[in-house]
Amino acid sequence: MAEKDNNNLSEEKYDPAAEGRAEAQGAAAEQDDDILVVEHLKKYFPIQTNFFGKPTKYLRAVDDVSFRLKRGTTIGVVGESGCGKTTLGRTILKLYPSDGGTIRFNGVDLTSLKKSEMRKYRTDIQLIFQDPYSSLPPRMTVGSIIGEGVKVHKIVPRGETYDYVQSVMKSCGLQPQYYDRYPHEFSGGQRQRICIARALAVKPKLVICDEPVSALDVSIQAQIINLLKELQNTMGLTYVFISHDLSVVKYITDQILVMYLGNVMELGETGEIFKNPLHPYTKALFSAVPVPDPDAKMHRIILEGDIPSPANPPEGCKFHTRCSECMDVCKFKQPEYVEVGKGHHVACHLYNAEVMAHLDDYAEEYKRILAERRAKEEYASRTKGRNKLFNGAFSSAARRAEGSFSVYPDCGGESDGGKEPETPQKED
Amino acid sequence: MKNKKKYSNYISISESRKIIRYNIRQMKHYEKLKRRKLDKSEYTVAMRDEGNLIEIDGLKTCFFTDAGTVMSVNGVSFDIPKNKIVGVVGESGCGKSVTSLSIMQLVQSPQGQITEGQIRYNSEELGYDEEGKKLAYDISKMPTKDMYNIRGKDITMIFQEPMTSLNPVFTIGYQLDEVTFLHRPSLPKAEVKEYSIEMLKKVGISMPEHTYKCYPHELSGGMRQRVMIAMALAGDPKLIIADEPTTALDVTIQAQILELLRELQKKQGCSIMLITHDLGVIAEMADVVVVMYAGKVIEKGTAQEIFHNPMHPYTIGLQKSKPLITSDENSPLYSIPGQVPNPINLPNHCYFKNRCSRCTEKCGGEYPREIKVSETHSVSCWLYDNGESADGGER
Repeated sequence: MAEKDNNNLSEEKYDPAAEGRAEAQGAAAEQDDDILVVEHLKKYFPIQTNFFGKPTKYLRAVDDVSFRLKRGTTIGVVGESGCGKTTLGRTILKLYPSDGGTIRFNGVDLTSLKKSEMRKYRTDIQLIFQDPYSSLPPRMTVGSIIGEGVKVHKIVPRGETYDYVQSVMKSCGLQPQYYDRYPHEFSGGQRQRICIARALAVKPKLVICDEPVSALDVSIQAQIINLLKELQNTMGLTYVFISHDLSVVKYITDQILVMYLGNVMELGETGEIFKNPLHPYTKALFSAVPVPDPDAKMHRIILEGDIPSPANPPEGCKFHTRCSECMDVCKFKQPEYVEVGKGHHVACHLYNAEVMAHLDDYAEEYKRILAERRAKEEYASRTKGRNKLFNGAFSSAARRAEGSFSVYPDCGGESDGGKEPETPQKED
Repeated sequence: MKNKKKYSNYISISESRKIIRYNIRQMKHYEKLKRRKLDKSEYTVAMRDEGNLIEIDGLKTCFFTDAGTVMSVNGVSFDIPKNKIVGVVGESGCGKSVTSLSIMQLVQSPQGQITEGQIRYNSEELGYDEEGKKLAYDISKMPTKDMYNIRGKDITMIFQEPMTSLNPVFTIGYQLDEVTFLHRPSLPKAEVKEYSIEMLKKVGISMPEHTYKCYPHELSGGMRQRVMIAMALAGDPKLIIADEPTTALDVTIQAQILELLRELQKKQGCSIMLITHDLGVIAEMADVVVVMYAGKVIEKGTAQEIFHNPMHPYTIGLQKSKPLITSDENSPLYSIPGQVPNPINLPNHCYFKNRCSRCTEKCGGEYPREIKVSETHSVSCWLYDNGESADGGER
């Protein structure tokens, strides 16, 4: 108890000025319909550092993700494991600092806020974790788990905490006598209800559900999904629903964001995407879902191979290694987002009229790039034994000398990345 | 400050001691039975139907825990026909994994014991008895030493978590070779390696020679599961038990693995017992479906029967509670209220009674018997007893 009191004191001390500033910022955009606007969000994790500790190689967990979320609606984030769904959710919550882009919540840019200023918004955005077995503290009672946030953030006056927690528990389908029990006494479904109650006790506006039902049994899943939907209707909540179960996503969401290796592949309204999936990855993903009907003959697109390592993603379109409709363009040019319908975006060259019109040019371009790459490899193998220091200095000088070395400014510069652009003219 | 309430799962010290004493007695008894020397004739029994590979009859597997005896498998009977895929569905804790472990004689002992029932394995080594019936091994009574010849060779298993079931300190090749070494000791080393690489090729690994030298951590989840399947195939099995083979995998990889399993089943001509909680996977793969609930089989039949004409309220509820990817409905999902009953001290009546929406007076009575609706379809529910079962049979 003493600890908690300390917490409260420190809470009282903290700055009212920052609050006021953020409030003013927020009030301006309060009328805006979008509760959450994410623009070009990036999150890179350093995986390699040089001698001085400066990161030299990054894992692009979330790379250029943008979407808008209307008040009271749900966006579903789908994709295979390792595609950055969870990282996206946590970056929105600022559990990870973002490396670029903006997150505007109710008109306030969360990325520019200090940690102390962010505290005010912690109550507005809450998270429900995947595993209800490991996300509840085993030594706290249900009442104190749910009540902790209420006390810290002073949602209700002190004396009313008990009644308030009881009412929250009731709305989440927990019986009032559970107040004094410990998490281990509950089954998975009940625990997930406790997690939901804990998130909702601080009156959030946006809830990020990170695979809330995947650890549960089918019959319990339905209960939790119904509860989430019901709470959304009664409390006007907005959800970011992260899941890999497409049938659940289809049922609960209004918008879908399909991710692959940190990139957005397709974004659009749920009905539209399911009726008319455009990106080859989306098509394959949807067709892979087993349908509980033994007579249903599904046209199944089976993707070959595994998801590439996100630490070393392929160049160009990240999906091209597994794509059935891969063209030469895809291998070196990263596709842009094309709006094909109202709010339906897709990142694929197939739907980019400009690219499709010049396919031959791109094919030639690709041939040239391949030849260059081969020349580079040859050169590298020849100069293998030489002094590396000299090699590096030489190549950087060469790069400076020929400013327009890369034939394809869009991708050439990017693809060269860490490699040394040697002088290919000699080989030619 | 808090008043201590007596919860339903509260056990006093004297009660706890009583349970432990009882458990020790029981465990000693069953372990003794396992260790005694048996003549081969004592564990060979006649098959009911020659076309079945495995016949499970009234199997009961208990776990003697400190909280009481858990009846994980409580009188399960079903058959696994030759060259068929049998799907077992159920929620977690319904005893589907324990059934499969019982078939492999891998139940955690001494606390877990097969107490009753027969598991008849139709082995090709055995001939016919005087009445012309095919003889089979009874796995529930079989001594552990003789089981070594069957386990891993005739009956193999693919586990749920490919990472935890592969040994991280040995290469894939070493672990694959081990299977062949054990079951074909006469084969020279070079041939064993060749055979292992052939197995890897069979499961669709593109660079088998390279993978042979890899350690498990170097492979992705899908590849690891393929290696597990290769290992299962190395003994040239008659039955593959796949215990949730795709639960830990992504949808796209799941599609690959299921496709592979189906192809291999056709090519090898073996049976597969597929354990899963995903009805979609079952519908796609299985020929025969067994639905389990709280340690009992509540419904079994062919896939068509179970999915087009489900009879038990639990099966119906299970199918309705999963949102369909093909439908556009937006109404609240049907959900089965309540939760699975406590496996300790199960009631005498139907275990589904408290959650059932079509409960009648009869359900308060004893546990419903198995009612045959058609030749292959049977259900344990009072709703279909008597009059209703008669016209159900005519269909």
